[in-house]
Amino acid sequence: MIDYLLGGLGAAFSLSIFPVLVFGVLGGIILGALPGLTATMGVAILLPFTFGMAPIAAMVMLIGVYIGGIYGGSIAAILLKTPGTPASAASVLDGYALTLKGEAARALSISVVASFIGGLISTIVLIAIAPMLAKFALRFSAPEYFALALFGLTIIASVSSNNILKGLLAGTIGLLVSTVGLDPITSVPRFTFGIMDLYNGINVIPVLIGLFAISEALNQLENLNLKTKVAEKFNSKLMSLKDLKNILPTTIKSALLGTSIGAVPGAGADISAFVCYNEAKRASKNPEEFGNGSIKGLAAAESGNNGVTGGSLVPLLTLGVPGDAVSAVLLGALIVQGLTPGPLLFTQNPEIVYGIFSSMLVANIVMLLIGLFGIRFFCQITKVPKLLMIPIIIFLSIVGAYAINNSMFDVGIAIVFGVLGFILGKLKIPTSPILLAIILGPMAETNLRRSLLMYDGSWSFLYERPIALAFIAMAIFSLWSTIRRNKKG
Amino acid sequence: MNKIIKSVIFMAGVLASVSAFSADYPTKNIRLIVPFGAGGGTDSVARAIANSAKDILGTSISVMNRTGGSGAVGMSYGAQQRGDGYTLTVVTREIASLPQMGLMQNDVNDFKLIRMINLDPAVVLVNKDSPFNNINDLITEAKAHPGEVKFASTAAPNFYLMALEKNQGIKLNAIPYNGSSEAIPSVLGGHTAVTMVTPGEAISQLRSGQLKALGVMSKKRISYIPNVPTLIEQGVNVTTGTWRGIAAPKSTPDKIIKTLGKAFDQAMASDNFKHFMTKGAMTIHNMNAVEFTQFVKDDTKSLSTLIQ
Repeated sequence: MIDYLLGGLGAAFSLSIFPVLVFGVLGGIILGALPGLTATMGVAILLPFTFGMAPIAAMVMLIGVYIGGIYGGSIAAILLKTPGTPASAASVLDGYALTLKGEAARALSISVVASFIGGLISTIVLIAIAPMLAKFALRFSAPEYFALALFGLTIIASVSSNNILKGLLAGTIGLLVSTVGLDPITSVPRFTFGIMDLYNGINVIPVLIGLFAISEALNQLENLNLKTKVAEKFNSKLMSLKDLKNILPTTIKSALLGTSIGAVPGAGADISAFVCYNEAKRASKNPEEFGNGSIKGLAAAESGNNGVTGGSLVPLLTLGVPGDAVSAVLLGALIVQGLTPGPLLFTQNPEIVYGIFSSMLVANIVMLLIGLFGIRFFCQITKVPKLLMIPIIIFLSIVGAYAINNSMFDVGIAIVFGVLGFILGKLKIPTSPILLAIILGPMAETNLRRSLLMYDGSWSFLYERPIALAFIAMAIFSLWSTIRRNKKG
Repeated sequence: MNKIIKSVIFMAGVLASVSAFSADYPTKNIRLIVPFGAGGGTDSVARAIANSAKDILGTSISVMNRTGGSGAVGMSYGAQQRGDGYTLTVVTREIASLPQMGLMQNDVNDFKLIRMINLDPAVVLVNKDSPFNNINDLITEAKAHPGEVKFASTAAPNFYLMALEKNQGIKLNAIPYNGSSEAIPSVLGGHTAVTMVTPGEAISQLRSGQLKALGVMSKKRISYIPNVPTLIEQGVNVTTGTWRGIAAPKSTPDKIIKTLGKAFDQAMASDNFKHFMTKGAMTIHNMNAVEFTQFVKDDTKSLSTLIQ
């Protein structure tokens, strides 16, 4: 195993592979940073170009895009409150607060270091115990997914800062929005008003763009003059060693949590970032810092979303089934190369498996270096006058909303949610619960109904299955601790 | 500066007049609408055929994913584009089923079909530890316990399953999942007993022996899984599967349809495309415009007996 790994590392640094890897990571970061463009799109578009490449080079490039893409989303989230992907929405909460305090460079360095640690630990876990994780993931059936979604929804309470009622209101709006579309079990149209674009439900990315980017731009337009910049204060200081010591325990915990979440097919980086944020806040002695520029909150979200990268390869490599949309493309790439993803890959083509492992290790290092070197350039954005930045954000938002599905309808959705977000902001109603509910609502509904079909209408699955029971217990505990904390505060 | 602008306008005028008067086709990029998301099976076949056809046509073909409504959004969008040969659409079996279910405004009559690209049968799959060893084991169990055998359905409604149910007078407990990538783990984990997907969707699990195939729902055995008997061989006369093809809006001139048809014939015969399909355990099934149109009509009829 060590031999293969060293061989893989040698290959990853070879002249024919390394440039491809750097290209992949850099491309991924850029795609991730632009709202509406995702790592999945990048990987899918690059796929035909890999047909003629050697298997290792092909996988290395695609994995580079994947890892870079998950991290890239956070740059815009931190600097502009415009998360590039749903996975980086949780990074807005504390990352943007730090930018406003003039600590953009510190926030970006924490983000890239936490992402690096998250990606690294997740890769190591993948290498060490992938088959065991796969067994755990296979035990997830509809009741477990339902319970996981239920637990996820309790996070609404913890991201609604100090007013739980307003958070719940936002969560309910999100859940209502998530019921639009064809019924997941019977395919009957719900709230579609005969509009075909609504049959698949409301896409989460235009909602994200509207709620975060457009609403923030509208907000900024209110107090605009020629001189205001994106962030009034700017300190070029990066994170300190003390910061690193502070965030390390949270970061490691989030990396492990993220890996487990990634290993379960169907639960991805977006859910992981919020779950890790929630857990960091729960465990913290100063939960009131969260949402006001807590470096632990930022590190938890960042490590949590990159922690998924290793985990999501577990079902791909051990079972031959994709854990998310990106690994579905990776699966296609392996198959085109004549390889069989799944348990056979370890015995028939160990050099490919370890090539993937080592390229993930190297891709994380490349991401760290690009991220650290890039900070000075990324930070220049904070010096741009708002007068210029706001139109650019609105322009990118609209292009991004269009690009995700080549649809003007999605642009409309983004604008509607932009206005909604702006109004909710005036009423001090938090918007991230809406996003969380739109991500988790369909997961909860579909799996509850699947469970009822499997159990012939009986609700016994709620207490008969240990993993489901554990999540339900965690959900209750999460609610209880939030309520207790609020009473104290 | 003024000079530059003037020359740009001049050049643009020249280019525009060239494309307006030239009888040649194609003179600009072709857009291929894929009604499913980037990274899925339909998307990867579309990108592969576009990749092979672009050199033959001498123009680039850009894939545009337009998802929603199980393909309804993209296909309807494609049907409503200008018929100038520069917007083509990947059509799938949903164009035969969705309009009948009232879930799609346009139907196959709004298109001129160009070529069928591939046709894949469904395979009946169970966990390697399953007590079922052939299709009749499954049917016997379903007859003894109606509505109890849990079926991981890749879509709701599931026409593969309905074809078997109708033919045999049985009823399974169909639990809808989002496609094969959710249905297969459900069978692997033992949460459901059986599923039906195309060979390409389960080739990894079939090769590694994690899943057992009870039968393939085609007339003849297929080369990727030669040891798996057809349902017909086992005395169950059911065939079903899924298909993909390329179409243009109704108003597209026949001459352009012909040019494109020839180009796609060559693309399907190209080594690159054949390699891609073989590796993915998908079957190329080239059908010309006339055959394809008849095929879709027949399939629409056979689906209508299941839908009603």
